[in-house]
Amino acid sequence: MNLLNIFKDKKFMFLLALFALLVTAVFVWDSYSGVFLILALVLFGTFSLMWKEKHLKIAGLVFLVLLALVNIGINGMKFGIDFEGGTRIPIVLEKSVDQNTMDELVQSIKKRVNVLGLTEVKVRSIGSSQINVEIPSGDEDRIRFIEDVLSHQGVYMGVVDGKIGITGENIFSTSIRPLYSDELLRQRADWGISFTIDQEGAEQFADAAYGKADYPVYMYLDRPADAVLFYTRDQLESVMLEDSSEKETIKSLEDALALEGNQSIVVYILDDIDFSNSSVKPKTENTTAIIHEDTPQEYKDLLISGGFSLDEYPEAEILPEFVRTGTGVLVVEKLEAVGMLSAPTLSAGITQGVPSYYYAITGSVQTTDTSQKLKEANDKTKYMESILKGGSLPVSITLGSRTTLPAALGEEFLNLSLIGIAAALIVISIFIGLRYMKIKAILPIIAISMAELAILLSILGSFTIDLAAMAGIIAAIGVGVDAQIVITDELLKKDQHTVKEKTDHAFSIIRTNVIVASLSMLPLLFSNLVEVIGFAISTILGSLLGYLLSRPAYAVIVEKILGIKEDG
Amino acid sequence: MDLPNIFKGNYKLLLIPPVILLIASLIFIPQLQLGVDFRGGTLVTLTLEKNVDAEQLGADLAEEGLEADVRVFETAVGFKAEIEVPQGESLLRAEELKDEFENLLVEATNLELQAGTDPSKTGEYNQKMDELWNTASEMFSIAGVSNKKSDITGVNDVDRLFGDAYKKVYADYEESITDPISRHVDYESISVQTVSPMLSIHFMDTAITVALVAALLSAVFVFLFFRVVVPSIAVIVGATCDIIIALGAMGLFGIPLTLPSFAALLMLVGYSLDTDILLTMRMLKRKGDPRHKAHDAMKTGLTMSMTAIIAFGTLFVLAYMTHIRTYYEISAVALAGLVGDMIATWGINAVMLLWYAEKKGD
Repeated sequence: MNLLNIFKDKKFMFLLALFALLVTAVFVWDSYSGVFLILALVLFGTFSLMWKEKHLKIAGLVFLVLLALVNIGINGMKFGIDFEGGTRIPIVLEKSVDQNTMDELVQSIKKRVNVLGLTEVKVRSIGSSQINVEIPSGDEDRIRFIEDVLSHQGVYMGVVDGKIGITGENIFSTSIRPLYSDELLRQRADWGISFTIDQEGAEQFADAAYGKADYPVYMYLDRPADAVLFYTRDQLESVMLEDSSEKETIKSLEDALALEGNQSIVVYILDDIDFSNSSVKPKTENTTAIIHEDTPQEYKDLLISGGFSLDEYPEAEILPEFVRTGTGVLVVEKLEAVGMLSAPTLSAGITQGVPSYYYAITGSVQTTDTSQKLKEANDKTKYMESILKGGSLPVSITLGSRTTLPAALGEEFLNLSLIGIAAALIVISIFIGLRYMKIKAILPIIAISMAELAILLSILGSFTIDLAAMAGIIAAIGVGVDAQIVITDELLKKDQHTVKEKTDHAFSIIRTNVIVASLSMLPLLFSNLVEVIGFAISTILGSLLGYLLSRPAYAVIVEKILGIKEDG
Repeated sequence: MDLPNIFKGNYKLLLIPPVILLIASLIFIPQLQLGVDFRGGTLVTLTLEKNVDAEQLGADLAEEGLEADVRVFETAVGFKAEIEVPQGESLLRAEELKDEFENLLVEATNLELQAGTDPSKTGEYNQKMDELWNTASEMFSIAGVSNKKSDITGVNDVDRLFGDAYKKVYADYEESITDPISRHVDYESISVQTVSPMLSIHFMDTAITVALVAALLSAVFVFLFFRVVVPSIAVIVGATCDIIIALGAMGLFGIPLTLPSFAALLMLVGYSLDTDILLTMRMLKRKGDPRHKAHDAMKTGLTMSMTAIIAFGTLFVLAYMTHIRTYYEISAVALAGLVGDMIATWGINAVMLLWYAEKKGD
C-alpha cells in the first residue's frame, strides 16, 4: 500500500486520532496513565479484532507500543521499595476490620502522612488487620517523623467559656456513634453523633456548662499549651465578616482561645506592636509564636529576636472561620493552627447543672440536593467522630518494626532483573531458531515480544513494579511466545486448509487459552493479597494483550515473512 | 528437530511414568512446608558485608533464647542471611486476649453507664469489671508491667492500660528477635517481616477461597467449552495431576508454600490447561489419524512448554544470584509444574483422549 494512501484511509485516521487523544490524556492526567493504557489496550485491541485489514492490525499494535513508550518517557516508571530502596513500616491494627473501615483507615493514614507533602508515600492494606506504609527513602529523621505522626494519639478537650468542660479521657470511646435516622428526625438535624461519658466527666461538664445556654463548646484537638497567636492586620481583615468590626473579631478570638489556669492563647496584631519597647514577651523559653507562613520576613525576624520560636501554618489552617450565631454573637468556628476544630452550641437543656452521661452533637447542612446533603452529613459525622476519638483512627494501631532496603541493593536487583529479561528473550529466540530452523522465524517473535514487554512495563510501571510484578513480566515473555508458536505451527502445517482457516483455528485455541489463563488468575486479582497482585496483573494483562493485539499482528507479519501462500 | 511419535504402538504404556511420578508426589506432599505467610512468625532478612557461619549464628541465638532457623547465602550482591522465627507464644496469646477484651469492653461500658443511674446494676458492673480486669491482667503480665486495680476508676482507664500493654508486647516480641541478632551480626540492612497469627489465618482463608474459585471457574469453563464429558474430564485430570506433581516437588525440594508460590500454582492451573486444551482441540476438531494428530499437538505443546521453561529458568537463575525469595518461590514452583505438565499432558491426557477417539472410531 502506498504510504500516502494510508492517510486517506478513514479507519487508519481514526486510530491515529485515538492515539493522539490517548497521548494527550496520558500527558494531562498523568496519575491515571496506567488506566488510560489499559483502556488503550482494550480499544486498539477491539478494533484490531474487528477490522480485517492487515495494516490496521499492525497499526493498532504500533500505536499502543508508541503510547507505552511515550508514557514511560513522560511519566517514567514507578518501582517498589525492593527495587528503589526505601522503608516499609507495618501498622498492626488492634482488631480485624471490614473493608469500609479499612478503606477509611488507609485514607486517613494517607492524609496524615501527606500533611508533610510526601506524596511518594504508599499506604496499602494487607489483609484485614495490617497496613503497610512505604517510603522511598532511608532518611532516619524523615522516617522517625512519620512514625511519630502515625503513632500519635491526639488529646481532645471541649472548652466552655474558658473552662474545661470535657476531655477525651472521660469519653467512652466505644460509645461514640452516629445518630440513627429516627433520632436525627426527632432532633430535626441532618447529622449527629452521640457519646457517653463517665461520672467524673459528667460532673465536670455539668459544672462548666451551668447557665451557659447558647454558648459554644470550643472543641480542641492537641491544643498547644504555651503559644501566642500573631496576625497582620491584612490577614485578619481578609477573614472578618462584613458586619463585624476588628474589635468584635478580636473579642471573639479571645473568647475562643481563653482557658482557665492562665493557659489562654493571646492574640496580637503584628502591625500594632512596638517591638523596640514591647510588652509582648514569651511566657517561657518554650513559647511558640503561631503565624501565617506568608507573614513578612521582618516580623518573623523580630519575633525570633524577641525570644519566640516560630510555628508557621498555611493560610487554610491559620485563618479563623467565623459565624454569627442565631443569638447574634460572633463565634470562631474553626482555627486549625491551634487545634480548634469545631464549635457546636450548648442547647439549653444541658446547662441546668445536672450531670448527664449521654450527649449528642447535631447539626444541619446547607445543601438541598439530596445526595449532596447525604454526603456532607456523612462527612460532618465522620469529622466530629474523629475529633472526639482524639483525632485517632477508627481502630487503635501498633507500629511494627520497620524494614529499610538500601537503594544501592535495589538498583542492583533491578539491573539484574532487566538483564534477566534480556537473557530470557535471547535464549528463547535461539530456541525458536533451532526449532524451526529458520532465522526468519525468530524476527517476528522477538519483535512482538519486545512490543509486549514495552507495553507491560509501561502499564505496570504506572502503578508500581514490585518483585511479584517483575516475576510476572519475565514469565509473560515466555508464556507470550506460546501463542505465537501455536500460530506458526498451524500456518506451517501442510494440509488442505486455507491460510484463513488455519489462522482462525489457531486463534480459537489461543482465545480458549487466554480465557482459561485469565480465569485461573482472576480470583487472585480480586483477593486483596497485595503481595502477589502484581504477578496476577502482569500474567492476565500479558495474555489479554497477546490475544487482542500482538497475535493478530504476528499472524500478519509471519505470513509475509515466512512466505506462506494460499496453496489450497 | 524431529520428535519421534511416542503414540505409535501401545500408547497405554505411556501412563507408567506419570503414574510413578504421581505416587512419588503423593508421598512427598505431606512434607510440604508452610512459609511465614501462612504459618505466622517472623522472617528477618539481613544483607551482610562478609560471610557468617549459619550454624554458629543459630547456636549463638539459641543461647540467647531465640530458637531460629538460620540460612546464609552468597549472592551476586554480597551475602544474605535469613533468620526465621516461629510465632511467639506471647504474641499468640496477646492476640487472643485482644479479642476477648474487645468483647468484654463493650459490655462493661454499658454496665458502667447503667450503674451510674441505676444503683441496682452496680453488682453486675463490678462483676464485669473483674472479668475485664482479669483479661487485662494477663496482658499486663505478658507485657511485664504491673498495674493496680485500685488506681482504676472506670472502663476507660482499663482500656488505655490494656492498649499500652499490647503495644509493649508487640514491641518486646520484635525486640526479642532483633536485639540478639544485632548483638551477633554486623549487617548492612535488616528487614523484619512479622506475620501475626491473625494475618496468617487471613492469608490462609483467602488463599483457600481463591484456589476454590479459580478451580471452579476453570472447570466450569472447560465443560461449557467442550460440552463432551470424557475430553473435559481428561483436561481437568491433566491439570489436577500437574498441581499434584508441583506440590510433590515443593515437598521434595523444600519450597515452602507462601503467597508467591501460591500465585505460581494458580498460574500453573492456567498454563497446564493451555497445553491440555491445545491437545484436545486438535484431537476433536480436526480430521485425520488420532495418533498423528496427538503427535502433531505434542510438537507444538513441547515447544510452548520449552519457552516457558526458559523464561522461568531465567527467573530461577536470577533467584539463585540474588536470593530474592519471591523470584525463587515463583520460578521453582513453575519449573516443577511445567515439567510435571509435560509428563501429565502427554502421558495421561493424551492417552485418555486417544483411547476415547479410537473407541469412538471403532
